[in-house]
Amino acid sequence: MELKTDGSSEKKVRVTAILFMGLGHILYFKEYLKGSIYALIELVTLCLIPFWANKIYGLITLGSPHPELPVKQRDNSMFMMIDGILVIAVLLIVIAVYVVSVKGAMAEYKEFCRNGSLNRKKAFISGKAFPIAGLAPALILMLVFVVVPLVFSACVAFTNYASPEHIPPNNLVDWVGFTNFTDMFGGNAAWTGAFGRVAVWTLIWAVLATATCFFGGFVLAAVLNECRIRIKPVFRSIFILPYAVPAIVSMLVWKNLLNGSFGIVNRTLMEIGLINNPIPWLSDAGLCRFICVLVNLWAGFSYFMLLTMGNMTAISSDIYEAAKIDGASPLYMFRKITFPLVLFQTMPLIIMGFTHNINNFGAIYFLTSGLPEAADSAVTSAGSTDILVTWIYNLTMDLQKYNYAAVLAVVIFVVMAPFAILSFRQTKSYKEGEL
Amino acid sequence: MGKSGKIFTSVLVWVFLIGTSLFVVYPLVYVAAAAFSPQQNIASLSIIPFGNGVTIKNFIYLFQKTDFPLWFRNTLIVAVATTVSTVFICALSAYVFSRFRFVFKKSLMMSLLILQIFPSFVGMVAIYVILLRIGGLNTLWGLVLVYLAGNIPYNTWMVKSYMDTVSKSLDEAARIDGAGHFQIFAKVILPVSRPIIVLLTITSFIAPWMDFIFPKLVLRSSNVQTIAQGLFGFVTEKKNMFATFSAGSLIIAIPFIIYFIVTQKTLITSLSGAAVKE
Repeated sequence: MELKTDGSSEKKVRVTAILFMGLGHILYFKEYLKGSIYALIELVTLCLIPFWANKIYGLITLGSPHPELPVKQRDNSMFMMIDGILVIAVLLIVIAVYVVSVKGAMAEYKEFCRNGSLNRKKAFISGKAFPIAGLAPALILMLVFVVVPLVFSACVAFTNYASPEHIPPNNLVDWVGFTNFTDMFGGNAAWTGAFGRVAVWTLIWAVLATATCFFGGFVLAAVLNECRIRIKPVFRSIFILPYAVPAIVSMLVWKNLLNGSFGIVNRTLMEIGLINNPIPWLSDAGLCRFICVLVNLWAGFSYFMLLTMGNMTAISSDIYEAAKIDGASPLYMFRKITFPLVLFQTMPLIIMGFTHNINNFGAIYFLTSGLPEAADSAVTSAGSTDILVTWIYNLTMDLQKYNYAAVLAVVIFVVMAPFAILSFRQTKSYKEGEL
Repeated sequence: MGKSGKIFTSVLVWVFLIGTSLFVVYPLVYVAAAAFSPQQNIASLSIIPFGNGVTIKNFIYLFQKTDFPLWFRNTLIVAVATTVSTVFICALSAYVFSRFRFVFKKSLMMSLLILQIFPSFVGMVAIYVILLRIGGLNTLWGLVLVYLAGNIPYNTWMVKSYMDTVSKSLDEAARIDGAGHFQIFAKVILPVSRPIIVLLTITSFIAPWMDFIFPKLVLRSSNVQTIAQGLFGFVTEKKNMFATFSAGSLIIAIPFIIYFIVTQKTLITSLSGAAVKE
C-alpha cells in the first residue's frame, strides 16, 4: 500500500486504523508485530461478545430468584455486580487501547510525511512500549483493587443490599434507585438525624484536629528553634515519641488510662484529692469529643513539628538580616516572616492533614469506638463520637447495612473531591502547565 | 529587654517544654510500667509507675501462651512484601510519568490524584468479594495486594514529583552510553531519587503494623492474624489483659522509637522536602 508524503492520505490511514485495530500498522507501516498484537486484542474481544453481554446483563438484572435450587447454585447478586463492573472496566481498557492504536497510526503517518520514508529503527519493547509495560502492573492493580471497589460502592448505594432481607446468596439484591439517599437525607427520622449529627461532628473534628496539631507542632518547633537550651535534642527526641508509637497502641493505652471507673487518670486525681467522683472522660458525649481532639493532639503534633522545623531552617537567613537592619523585633519577625512563610510552605500538607482527619479511623475507633451511645444508636449504630468512616465500618461489619454504608461513601466522595482538585492545582506540574 | 525579663522568658520556656514533655511521656510510662507489672488488669495497676514491682512474666506469657510470635511473623511478611512491591511499582510508574509523553497521560495523572483521597476501606465489601473470587481471602498475599494497590496512587504522584526535579541531562548521558529505558531507570534515576525512595520505604513498611481494618476483613482464621488484631484482642470489652497488651505494644513500639529518634534529622528534611517538592 502506498502512502503520499504530502499528508493527503491522512483520511485513508485514519479510516483503516478505525476499521480494525492494528490494520493501519500492518498495511501501511510494516509494523507487523505491533499490528498483530492490536488485531489479536480486537479479535479476542469480538469473540467474547456473548460472554461480555451475559455479564452486563447480569449487572443490570442482578440475578433472578431460584428458590428451588440449593443456596450454592442460586444467582449471587454481588458476584454478578462485581463481574459486571470488571467487564465494563476491561471493555473500557479495550476502547482506550483502540484510541491509542488509532492515534499511534496517525502519529506514525505524520512522521512518515516528515521523513518521506518509513522509520524502522525503533525497537518495539524498549521503545514506545516501555511506558505501557511500566504502567501496566500499577494500572491493573489499581483498577481491580481501587477503582472497581469504588464503583461497586457507588453502585451499592442504589441497591437494597442490607441485612436481614437482602443478603446473598440466600436472597437477591435489587436496584432501588435513590431510596437510600432519600432515607438518609430526610426520609427516615432516625437515619437522617444520625447522619446530620455524624456529618457535623466529622467536620468539626477534622477542623479542630488539624488546627490543634498544626499550631501545637508549630509552637513547639518555634520554641525549640529559638531557645538556647543545651539539651534541645533531648526535648526534640521526646516530642518525636508520639509519632513513632503506632496509633493503635497509643489510642488503646489512652482509652484504658481514661477509663471512667478504673482508669489511672481518675484514680490518680482522686488519690491526690483533686476530685471526689470519677470524671466520665469517655462516657459523657461533650467531654468525650474534647478528649478525642486532645488525644489526637498528643498523637499528631509531632508530625507537624517535624514539618515546620524543616521549613523554618529552609527560610533564607538574608530575610532575617534585612529585617534586623530595619529594626524589627524578634516577635515582629516571627509574626511577619516565619509564620506566613511556614504556613505557605506547609499549606498543601495542612490540606492533606484535613482530609486525613476526615478519614482518621484509628483516632476515633480505638479510643472511643464511637461511644458514648446517642439516642438513635440502637438503630443506626452511630455513637456520639463516630465520624463518617467509623460509622461506615459499623454499618458494614456489625449491622450489614451495606446500602447505607455506600451512601456515606458517596458523601465522602462529594466532600473530598474539591480538596483533590485543590491539591491538584497546588502541584508544581499543574502550575508549570505540563498537564 | 531587661535581665529579669530574660530570666522570666527562659523560665517560661523551661516550664513549657517540661510540661509538654510530661504530657507526651505520661501514657508511655504506664505502658512500660504495665508491661513489667505483675498485675494483669488495669484496674489493679498502681497509679505510681512500677509501684506493683517488676516482673518479666508478661513477656514470657506473651511468647509462650499466645500466638504473638506468629502474629509478628505474619505482619513482618506482609510489611516486607508490601514495601518491596510498592517501591518497585511506584518508582517504575513514577519514572514513566516523569519522563514520557503518551496518550491519556493527563487523565491518568488526574485519576491518581482523585483516587488517593479515598480511604481504601470505602470499597471494602467489594475488596472482600474480589478476594473471595480469586482465592485471596485468609491469605497474606491477598492482604499485600490490597495494601499495594492502595499505596500506588499517592506514592506514584509523590515519587513522580521528586523525579521531575532530577535533571534530564542524566538520562541523556546514559542514553548516549547506550542504556535502555529500564537501565536508565534502575541505574541512574533510582539511585538519584534515594531520599524519596527511603521515605516511601519507611511509610509503606510502617503502615501494615498499625492497620487494623484490612487484616480484620481479609484474615479471618487464627493462623494468619497480624499484630494489630492480636493486640486489639487483649483489651476488648469482655477482657482486660492490659499488662500483656502493654508487653506486646512495647516490643513493637521500641524498634520504631529507636529508629525515629536516630533518624530524626533525615526525617525533618525528607518530610519538609516532600512538602516543597509538591
